[in-house]
Amino acid sequence: MAMKGTGIVSGNGDEQRTLVVVFLRGGADGLTLAPPVGDQVYHDLRSNIAVSEGEVLKLGAANCGLHPAMSGLHDVFKDGGLSVIPAVGSEDKTRSHFYAQDLMEHGGSVAGGWLGRFLRYREGRQPTALSAVALGKKMPEVLRGAPAATVMESMDTFSLGKKGVSTAKFKAELAGLYGAETSLLGPAARDTLQALDRVAELAKTSYSPEHGAEYSDDSFSNGLRQAAQLVRARVGLEAVSLDLNGWDSHFAQETLIAPMITRLSEGLSTFYQDLGPLMRKVTVVVMTEFGRRVAENSSFGTDHGSGGLMMVMGGKERGLVGTMPKLDAGTLIGPGDVPVVTDYRSILIPELKMHGVRETVGEIFPGFVQEK
Amino acid sequence: MSSAGAALFSMAGCERIEKMFLLGPQPGPVVPPSGKGIDLISHALNRLSFGPDPSEYARVKEMGESEKEAVAAYVDEQLDPDSIDDKRATRAVRRFEAIHAPLAEMYEYKEEFLLEQMTRATLVGATRSKRQLFEMMVHFWSDHFNIDASKEECRWLKAADDREVIRKHALGNFLEMVRASALSPAMLWYLDGRENRKWNEDEKPNENYARELLELHTLGVDGGYSQKDVMEVARCLSGWTVRGLERMLKKGKVSFDSEAHDDGVKVVLGHEIAAGGGKTDLDAVLEIVCGHPSTAQHLAQKLCVRFIDDDPSQDAVEATAKAFSESGGDIKTTLRALFSTKAFLEGSRGSKLKRPFEFIISALRGSRAEVRSELNLIDYLVRMGHAPFQYPTPDGYSDVASPWSGTLLWRWHFAIALARNEIDKRIKVNEADLIEKAGGVAGLSASLLGRVPTEEESASITRSGEALALLLASPGFQWR
Repeated sequence: MAMKGTGIVSGNGDEQRTLVVVFLRGGADGLTLAPPVGDQVYHDLRSNIAVSEGEVLKLGAANCGLHPAMSGLHDVFKDGGLSVIPAVGSEDKTRSHFYAQDLMEHGGSVAGGWLGRFLRYREGRQPTALSAVALGKKMPEVLRGAPAATVMESMDTFSLGKKGVSTAKFKAELAGLYGAETSLLGPAARDTLQALDRVAELAKTSYSPEHGAEYSDDSFSNGLRQAAQLVRARVGLEAVSLDLNGWDSHFAQETLIAPMITRLSEGLSTFYQDLGPLMRKVTVVVMTEFGRRVAENSSFGTDHGSGGLMMVMGGKERGLVGTMPKLDAGTLIGPGDVPVVTDYRSILIPELKMHGVRETVGEIFPGFVQEK
Repeated sequence: MSSAGAALFSMAGCERIEKMFLLGPQPGPVVPPSGKGIDLISHALNRLSFGPDPSEYARVKEMGESEKEAVAAYVDEQLDPDSIDDKRATRAVRRFEAIHAPLAEMYEYKEEFLLEQMTRATLVGATRSKRQLFEMMVHFWSDHFNIDASKEECRWLKAADDREVIRKHALGNFLEMVRASALSPAMLWYLDGRENRKWNEDEKPNENYARELLELHTLGVDGGYSQKDVMEVARCLSGWTVRGLERMLKKGKVSFDSEAHDDGVKVVLGHEIAAGGGKTDLDAVLEIVCGHPSTAQHLAQKLCVRFIDDDPSQDAVEATAKAFSESGGDIKTTLRALFSTKAFLEGSRGSKLKRPFEFIISALRGSRAEVRSELNLIDYLVRMGHAPFQYPTPDGYSDVASPWSGTLLWRWHFAIALARNEIDKRIKVNEADLIEKAGGVAGLSASLLGRVPTEEESASITRSGEALALLLASPGFQWR
């Protein structure tokens, strides 16, 4: 079948929005990703590892900027495609990776993940096999309880039967049998056959990014490349989950995370460039379970803290959100952590609304009362 | 004997034991159904079981002179699970040792491991047990008293709930079951009952469990209770709590703290519960809510949706509700009444869409699959959004067709992978043998569809060249 086709595979075709959730596992240091500008305390408490003010990529007049390795995302910001939200976090008090990740992926002390509940409670049609994918090796908690979700390692994941053995006859016979089906399975089968054709098409052809975008060859960029491919193919993709691991920088932080920051920024900015105008329908949310202590430790690293960073890319015109709090003793909390000024859910809620959630926000974040 | 030899020997021994107890579906003669439509025997097998093994139709047919007698005898047999020799399935499930451990020991295990063991045991039970109706009711109650094992300490405690609440009472007495559920450590976590305390005048009880008890477990959302009733029930249940992870000893132990109990007078659904009742308030509440006519109606409606139709006849619901009330919530009596209704015996057949779990199990049973590892089956269930113990909200997986209409891709994917032996090395089917035993492709078709295939189906099956894959993927096999 021709790729353009007229068929609406699921959702609403061109109007289909896709939400991509990037989780930075390990507690990414918000103060390195988006360093404070004009705050001497930051430099006093991090005399060895602070990002020097001259190197910080400025975000207009904001009192925080971006790490120098984030030139790609800096360009996206200048294009109006990126929000940077400092001092974001959850109610976590344990500073345990496991606990804090679960809490943030579940959306509180509740069962199942918020992205899974989003798919259950958003308006519109029943999700299909291609509505939600986790790019990687295992299903993340954020998608737990989804009405449909697939861990996808490559396009072949969806294809019927092993590669090389034809399923053409099988599909033709299914089309015939389901064509006569008067139940709800009739239309469902037509959608599914179309989706299979599209996926088969995708698996066969190598994907060529557009607008001069060139993805790096690392697993994060590869994941984003697949996500872009699925978005373009209009298979009804609504939710994508993707991890970038390894942010737990207790030791020699700069050496450890500088390459990660590059990977993050290059991956996301390439994705932005590749999708171009399609980014109006795609929202990327970047989050991490907590930020890190303000003061560096004796091994040039930092320890588990509280307030961290969130970024949101695409979906609409973006810009700065909130400000970096002053890092003086009066503001810091607990053992010297950045306070949680903004709850991660109050950032997510407007995005979920844009993606089709109406009256059911309370079902997605039970018990959460949004601050005014 | 050399040590290598010994290892070889013991491995062979293991394999043999595995073959004896875990595998080898019991082959009896296959005499497939011969009706153009689904006959009563196939209907009963579709509804009371997770789909028949190819020899099951003939076995049930032999149980009586007529179809009706045979089905009545089959219902009797299935309602008396202890009379069914089920050693092989019992042993196969027992190898998942972790989920049979005492409560406090559960905390020693990794939570992912426990979830995996529980899920595998559920799949093995549904596939291999001859007590099919019992397993079907386990499946039903798991939704009715849904607990998502990903919430907080349910990770460790759900296995005990499955054992002590769901399985223990699946064909027992409803009130006993609700009581076990109310005091189940996992339920006390899942619906926050453990937080329901009243230390002082100002403290408001936590209503979460009380509301779901009325709305989901007993009366039903239109059952005629008020917000006031919810609050009064919560007051009655205040003080029950469970020891958590942070405690050194007796993790998961449930206790009643009279200091945290609201001991004043309460009025629940018009019944006064005198002050000073302490922990007996729970029993008073359960008597009131379980004996309420709305509860009989609600349970009857849900059971009829499970066994009869997405939109069951109200006559059938009434008859089932009556049996429920008159027997004091005896589940066997209630089911016997349901299976005697006209709607069940003469109503529409093949009208229930198999949910993904039922689809997978019926495919494994119908194709006599040898399953040595369930892990890849769990992946399929996750993809179709129907993995046991993973439904996030207390209402449980939906039992009607529409929410499942988006699952065809994975059903077809599974059908072809199973028939072609491509799922993994530890799941095997032998299509040639199946066809031979069933006396040809037509026999296999009838045995999987519960009826003789239509001309279109037969032609399609022949053309496809892959009878088993196409049958399992076909519309006819998606309904039960």
